[in-house]
Amino acid sequence: PLQPTLHDRELNPLSRQPVTELSLPSLVDMGFTDSQAEQMYEATSKLRGTSTSKHALSTLTALFVLGLNPSSVQKILEKCPELYTVTESQFQQRIGNMRKLGLVEGSLQRVVSHYPQILTVPVKTVKNVVLFLKEKCLFTFQQVTDLLRDSPAVVLEDRGQLEYKFQYVYFRMGIKQAEMVKSRLFRYTLEEVRCRHCFLERRGLYQTPDKKGQTMIINPKLDSILHFDQDTFLTNVANASAEEYEVFQRLMAREWLEEEQLQGNIEAD
Amino acid sequence: EKWAVTRTKYPATTLALQNFDATYSVQLGQLWPSVRAALLSERKYGALLNNYCHDDVQAELQAKGCKDFPTDKEIEVQPCLEQEPEVAGEEESCRVSVEKSDPDAQQLPPLQLSPNIKCLVFPRGDITRFKPARPDMFGCLGYYLMDAASVLPCLALNVQEGHNVLDLCAAPGGKTLALLQTKSIGFLCVNDTSVSRTSRLRKVLQSYVPKPFLSEGKLRITSFDGTKWGEIERNTFDRVLVDVPCTTDRHSLMEDDNNIFSKNRTGERRRLPQLQLALLLAGIEAACPGGEILYSTCTLSQVQNLSVVEQAIHTAREDHGIHLQVVDLRPLAHMFRKTFQFAPNLPLGVMVVPHIAANFGPIYMCKLRRLA
Ligand SMILES: C[S@@+](CC[C@H](N)C(=O)[O-])C[C@H]1O[C@@H](n2cnc3c(N)ncnc32)[C@H](O)[C@@H]1O
Repeated sequence: PLQPTLHDRELNPLSRQPVTELSLPSLVDMGFTDSQAEQMYEATSKLRGTSTSKHALSTLTALFVLGLNPSSVQKILEKCPELYTVTESQFQQRIGNMRKLGLVEGSLQRVVSHYPQILTVPVKTVKNVVLFLKEKCLFTFQQVTDLLRDSPAVVLEDRGQLEYKFQYVYFRMGIKQAEMVKSRLFRYTLEEVRCRHCFLERRGLYQTPDKKGQTMIINPKLDSILHFDQDTFLTNVANASAEEYEVFQRLMAREWLEEEQLQGNIEAD
Repeated sequence: EKWAVTRTKYPATTLALQNFDATYSVQLGQLWPSVRAALLSERKYGALLNNYCHDDVQAELQAKGCKDFPTDKEIEVQPCLEQEPEVAGEEESCRVSVEKSDPDAQQLPPLQLSPNIKCLVFPRGDITRFKPARPDMFGCLGYYLMDAASVLPCLALNVQEGHNVLDLCAAPGGKTLALLQTKSIGFLCVNDTSVSRTSRLRKVLQSYVPKPFLSEGKLRITSFDGTKWGEIERNTFDRVLVDVPCTTDRHSLMEDDNNIFSKNRTGERRRLPQLQLALLLAGIEAACPGGEILYSTCTLSQVQNLSVVEQAIHTAREDHGIHLQVVDLRPLAHMFRKTFQFAPNLPLGVMVVPHIAANFGPIYMCKLRRLA
């Protein structure tokens, strides 16, 4: 294919007029370095000529409007090339919705940088997740904002998994919403949460609080259960050897698989 | 509905756990959390190999990664071999400890084990399960799945050619079957007070051992109260296995049915040490002078283990004039430390404590020798 070069641009000064397709010069104009521009041009080459190609430009515009700098924008698009296919009006709606959910400047940039996929999710889906978090899990508006900021991936998590994880931590571990938010619970998979909790529970180091919220022992904070890497968790919280936890994880995986299969059989009957 | 009415506030398994938390955290200290997690997780089995089966089951299991643990042992000498077990009957106090000063001790023959017992296990950390055993062309099953640690009391009993052996509390028969694998027993008396459990035991033996080996001349199965044995048949047996009823810790944590910690069995549970003592004393009386008695349980409870043995040694001497020697089983613990985790520094007997990577036990055992 014909490669436009800086040379072309000099010969054709009129190309500064309305641009609808990404070209190397336009990328450089936007502030990307030559090499960034080349990489991005390369990345969008597949789109060229298709109906979505015209969104590429609005995508960049939308990201720049958020106040992100060229190198962040490039990283974001590298992480999530699907963003090239999002239309201008979709961007406006989605970003508007996030602002309405309390993700104001700073948080908004952070969320988009960390989890650009959030801009590929329809407003309706996000609204449903938020509704679920508020009405089924009884998180407050502010807590939902914090959840979205710290664990934006919840918007795409399987609803069943999300509900199970919440109920597990709420009922089995006896943990209230505020602590869930503080410990960034939704960043961890159900398996991780369940495995560490069960391990502590079987060792006698964690108890489900009774109706009055009381336990015979002092439970470790959810944060200290989830946050540490495995070695630190084992030495500081579980007081166990790596061998023990490694075998335990394998046993649990088998146990859960068999539970699911059993459940499947019952439902099939 | 009925369920709601009979449901108690705490299920028996919870009561058992509360009881263990209170007693074992004191008894085992730092080890308890690890043992607790093991007890509450899936246990491991061993495949007691049936020497009467014609298929080469051992090769089959070995191909899957199993090892025969009795042959897979550590042989190097260790310091505790130098310790001479004391003659408990000659001491004033009934507290039994092991004396360390006898210079002849090193010449003692090493601990002897019952021959021919094979038990295959998957290595430490391997959680593979065994498939159910298949019958050979004569209908004889290839192996019996049981806690591999339960094989230890049978190994420790040191059965020898032509021995007269009593298995006082035998049902459902795992250890009986292990003893029969030695093929050296002269006559075996198998007893269990429970008639239903004895009939189960009979069925087990029938599916593993060919008829000729179960004939009247070789084997007798009875359902007597074992505590009365001393009145029936005294000074008779070369070897006596006293595998008493106990709080069966693992079972009590897992099954609410038939649980000894359920409220309506509190009395029975409290009387266990008494019953255990009576059974051990009966076993001691049933042994001939020079004969050996092996006491075993599947609980971690000191009250049901050590205390019962101490009391039995004392009572045997005081009330029956029978003097006993404690046989040091620590060499056995040392030998099999690759397969099992043993409790450290037990003053009397040895105990396998569950570990999640070697999830066998609990099994406590103590061996006594009747002095002439
Ligand atoms: C731990 S189990 C024995 C397990 C058996 N040795 C095996 O390896 O399969 C204890 C047994 O003691 C029996 N038992 C309880 N009281 C008894 C008594 N007074 N005399 C004889 N057996 C008794 C019970 O019926 C039970 O089967």
